[in-house]
Amino acid sequence: MSSMFGEPSGLLRGETLLDTPQAIGSQTLVASEESGEDAFVLGGLLGSEEGEEQMDEGFGEATLLTDAFHPTGLLSEGVTDCSASSQSLGCESQPIATQASQDLPDFRDAIGKYSTTTNAIRSTTSVTPSPAYTPPLRATTYNGKAVFIRKRQRKVETMLSSSSSNNRPHNIGKLLDVPMHRLMDEVSASVAAKLSIHDQPLASTSCAAGAESSMWVDRYRPQRYIDLVGDDRVHREVMAWVKEWDFCVFGNKKGKKKARDDGNLDEYRRPNEKLLLISGPPGLGKTTLAHIVAKQAGYNIFEINASDARSASVVDDRIRPAVESGSMVGSSKPTLVVIDEIDGATGGSDNSGGFIHKLVTLTQEIPKKGRKKEQQAVRPLLRPIICICNDLYASSLAKLRPHARIVRFTRPNDVHLVRRLRTICEQEGLKAESRALSSLVGLAQGDWRGCLNALQLIGSRSREVTELIVRKATTGMKEADMSQLAVLNDLFTPMSRKRAKDLGITEDEESKYVTRLCREVESSGAMDRIATGCFEHYATLRRHDANFSRYLKANEWLSTYDIMSGQMWAEREYASMQYLPYMLVGFYPLFQERGAPKMERPKVDWEQYTLTKTNEEIYKSLARGLRVACTRHGGAYRHFTSDTILQLEFAPFINRIISPPLRPVNKQVIKADEKALLSRLVDIMVSLELRFIQDKSEDGQLMYRLDPPIDVFVTYDGKRASDISVSRYAVRHLVASEIDAKFIHRDAEFTEKSKATNPKKRSFFNANKNDAAANGGDGMLMAKDADVPIAKRAKKDVAIEDKVAVDFFGRPIVHTASSKPVSSKGAKKEGVVAYRFREGNSAAVRKPVKVSSFL
Amino acid sequence: MSLWVDMYRPRTLDDLHYHEGLSTRLRSLAASGDFPHMLFYGPSGAGKKTRIACTLRELFGKGADKLKIDQRVFMTPSKRKLDVNIVQSNYHIEITPSEVGQYDRVVIQELLKEIAQTQQVDVSAKHRFKVVIIQEADSLTRDAQAALRRTMEKYMSNMRIILCANSTSKLIAPIKSRCLLVRVAAPSSEEIVKVLKHVAAKQPFRVIDDEVAQEIAEDSNGNLRKAILVFEALRMQSPDLSGPLTIAKPDWETYCHKVADMIIQEQTPQRVMDVRSKLYELLSHCIPATVIIKTIADRLVDKVDENLKADIMHWAAIYETRMRVGNKKIFHLEAWVVKVMSLYKHFFYGIDMSGFD
Repeated sequence: MSSMFGEPSGLLRGETLLDTPQAIGSQTLVASEESGEDAFVLGGLLGSEEGEEQMDEGFGEATLLTDAFHPTGLLSEGVTDCSASSQSLGCESQPIATQASQDLPDFRDAIGKYSTTTNAIRSTTSVTPSPAYTPPLRATTYNGKAVFIRKRQRKVETMLSSSSSNNRPHNIGKLLDVPMHRLMDEVSASVAAKLSIHDQPLASTSCAAGAESSMWVDRYRPQRYIDLVGDDRVHREVMAWVKEWDFCVFGNKKGKKKARDDGNLDEYRRPNEKLLLISGPPGLGKTTLAHIVAKQAGYNIFEINASDARSASVVDDRIRPAVESGSMVGSSKPTLVVIDEIDGATGGSDNSGGFIHKLVTLTQEIPKKGRKKEQQAVRPLLRPIICICNDLYASSLAKLRPHARIVRFTRPNDVHLVRRLRTICEQEGLKAESRALSSLVGLAQGDWRGCLNALQLIGSRSREVTELIVRKATTGMKEADMSQLAVLNDLFTPMSRKRAKDLGITEDEESKYVTRLCREVESSGAMDRIATGCFEHYATLRRHDANFSRYLKANEWLSTYDIMSGQMWAEREYASMQYLPYMLVGFYPLFQERGAPKMERPKVDWEQYTLTKTNEEIYKSLARGLRVACTRHGGAYRHFTSDTILQLEFAPFINRIISPPLRPVNKQVIKADEKALLSRLVDIMVSLELRFIQDKSEDGQLMYRLDPPIDVFVTYDGKRASDISVSRYAVRHLVASEIDAKFIHRDAEFTEKSKATNPKKRSFFNANKNDAAANGGDGMLMAKDADVPIAKRAKKDVAIEDKVAVDFFGRPIVHTASSKPVSSKGAKKEGVVAYRFREGNSAAVRKPVKVSSFL
Repeated sequence: MSLWVDMYRPRTLDDLHYHEGLSTRLRSLAASGDFPHMLFYGPSGAGKKTRIACTLRELFGKGADKLKIDQRVFMTPSKRKLDVNIVQSNYHIEITPSEVGQYDRVVIQELLKEIAQTQQVDVSAKHRFKVVIIQEADSLTRDAQAALRRTMEKYMSNMRIILCANSTSKLIAPIKSRCLLVRVAAPSSEEIVKVLKHVAAKQPFRVIDDEVAQEIAEDSNGNLRKAILVFEALRMQSPDLSGPLTIAKPDWETYCHKVADMIIQEQTPQRVMDVRSKLYELLSHCIPATVIIKTIADRLVDKVDENLKADIMHWAAIYETRMRVGNKKIFHLEAWVVKVMSLYKHFFYGIDMSGFD
């Protein structure tokens, strides 16, 4: 008998083996439970000496038993319950059962009449496990080894068995208490009943589902590292990082690999990045991964998530103690901190007191060396911290990113997800079309959690997962979170057949695009950017338009949109926001075209915006220069500061005024009129605070650039205006040195003026007087200026001599009056004084120095 | 050293070169002792500010030229700090409230009250009142203008206000009715030439070629400031003013003309894109969109057929108003460009092609 059962059982087992380990586990468990009972009862029936043998073979039979009793075991009242329970219990039971029922004929042939009856008996008795007494099962493998299997109690089973256990004593007594023909009738009746049951949702199973309080998401959450599904590389990356801490956390014992990646570790044997930042869209299992990896690596998890307050004080109050104490109270494992949803934390970018800032400082803290031990209030971070976020580029994380190792979660391949969902469906006893599952995955866009929740929702209503049901269950899901680019693409291209099918939209519905697109535009949450995208894109489409009628309409829509949104913001009439999307939907009938070029992310507008901002800054600095000039020159330049005049008149012409065609010659041999030109140029530039700054171009050549770079205002399309001569390096060098000299001189003069120098002293020096006059603002001295040598050196002399002449209180020092002119005159005549005053070198002490000391 | 524009700016009413009648009237007003609030208006570069300065000089004597420039900080009710540059002498104060945009009301209220409630302390002053000059009065917000009207009446004894604006259309009627309106018209070409010659006379080269002066004057479009700037630029470019002289046009203007030419040359979607990039370039150089549309329209009108001129201007006006209401200037600029292209095409081919598409 046992051998007869052995064959099909092996077959069935082989089939189950193909499935996931979990599935096998549950399957064999169910089977063995019943087999155990069965074997036990049988043993009792057949006698004790046979009992042992039966037990040996019991395991083999047992696996078969589920199916064996299914076709034949419809003898008693408990049987229907049983078949129902087998459906809800194990994921595998249903397919096997159905298969077994197909195999039934040959099965019967092989067994013969007697075996059928015994089968019947066994099956009736098999469903009577006593909840109280659960003896271990003995099973023998094919090579004759005895295996004991512990029985595990399951709630649902006990519930069922208790209901059927009432029959038990009554059943044991007889071999076949119902005549065979009646049995056959019952079989056909129950099959019919089953068929009708399949059509409508089962009341009993939904009851069973209600009894399961837990969410599927939790029930099928992976428990161990090997259970993880998805991108293995990511998992390993996280694991590797956690393992890098091993030496620091667990000490030497696990440091086998330390020699290999020693370069990555610091003095505490920590990885270079003290934080791990896991980022990715929601529902991919980031938190689960962190937990599992931490558990696997032997850590206790201390989690902080959005439900906790996340001010800066949390770092000090909770994270730091958790990390520093090493392990939690009552546990020997070290702590690993998981900070979930960190992108919602406060104060990353703006204030220094924010959570992120604190966290980063926590990781950066290094005890100061060379201090006394007791002063080390700050201890280094010796435990790993894992941060989890959705948006890696959230502004609040800007400070964190450079200090963290970043792991990106990407959407796993749909195939994995579908396969896993199918397994779950089977376990839950749902009939799932694979198309339905793949469309569910497509709608959820890889979100495991969303998929499972949707599936559970479906499962609570019906036993079947069809595409239609999936559609209905996920009506809300498909609208969530459309990216800008997707919305733009939808605006400009008709819906693809595939997508239409995905969304379950018929041809007729597709032609009604307005509501659909409106909703999309609205849900994108960035209407302005979509408008900009439309603007950037439309002109690339429908180019054979003869009279611009489409373009005119498109522009009409855009103008209307802009006016409405402008009014809305200005008047704060946000109620009109709901009408805005309609303006953009207008693009669809105008430009939709199959096979049109794909949208790119609109960027031109942003580029222009940043460029405008830079130029505005330049204008501002120019205006600032004008204001300074205005204070220095008695309000002279102030009429230019008004914005429009500055932009439209001043900027273009000042560029021309400051670029005269000078020859790059030494200033000693410069011609008189050029000298005049140069000095005037320098005067203007100095008064406007314009300078030439030495810089290196990309190819490493030295060059002078204007600062502030007001020459951008004569540069359009990257070309300078043609009528402005490009000043050469040598010319700019000449001008730059003059300007620097002038600036120094001006500053010196400024201090002089504030000291109220003796006018007599000033008039002694021709050059100085000239300058004073020039600065006075009447500027009539152009001609005079020309014949006075620019004589930088002489001016230097003057500046220093002037300082010699006054004491601290600005009074002239009398006794030097006699000696000084002589010396300075002598110096001038000889003209051999060659020194350079380097401002900044000796700013601390200004000391009267005689020229003779330099000679 | 300052630019010629400032260097040769007339300091007294007698020095002014044109609008003699106006100068005489201002002089007699200043002498009468009954000086009203005034509103100077006229196009840019006509000499409004110069005239105001000259009037002040006439009123108070040389002391009005001694300027002090500083910055003051005002605080809005929402605790926002505003920096305002103030130019003042003992007798007057000059502010540009539009510097602070929509908060100009705060500046007007606080500053005017402060001045109005203090008496003139200088006993030797010719007049008991101080003068407040408000520049760019046409960009004052409604609130600020409303704040002004009561103050103007209430503190008449201590203060006179001189408003300076390009046009009176944006000033509310109550303000206009409280002021003596002084229109400073743009100088004619001859007047500009006269001024240019005056400037040249103070230079070492002493003379300016009549033709050059005439050219500059015509190019400047009645904007004397621009004329003098061009002159100075010219002089810097070729110190002796010899050789072939090209009058420099502002670069943005040249560029706008280029855009206009592009529109006329070709009317295709590709051209729309090209024009768009040019418009972006202009906008990113901070050229106001209204100026862009006006310059391009002017150029287009010069070039196209008589029948199109009215339409182009009509649509330019329409899109300019839209631009003022909306936020994205480029949308309206391009909408106008497309409109013009379509108009031009229609006109050029002489047929209605709306049935083709």
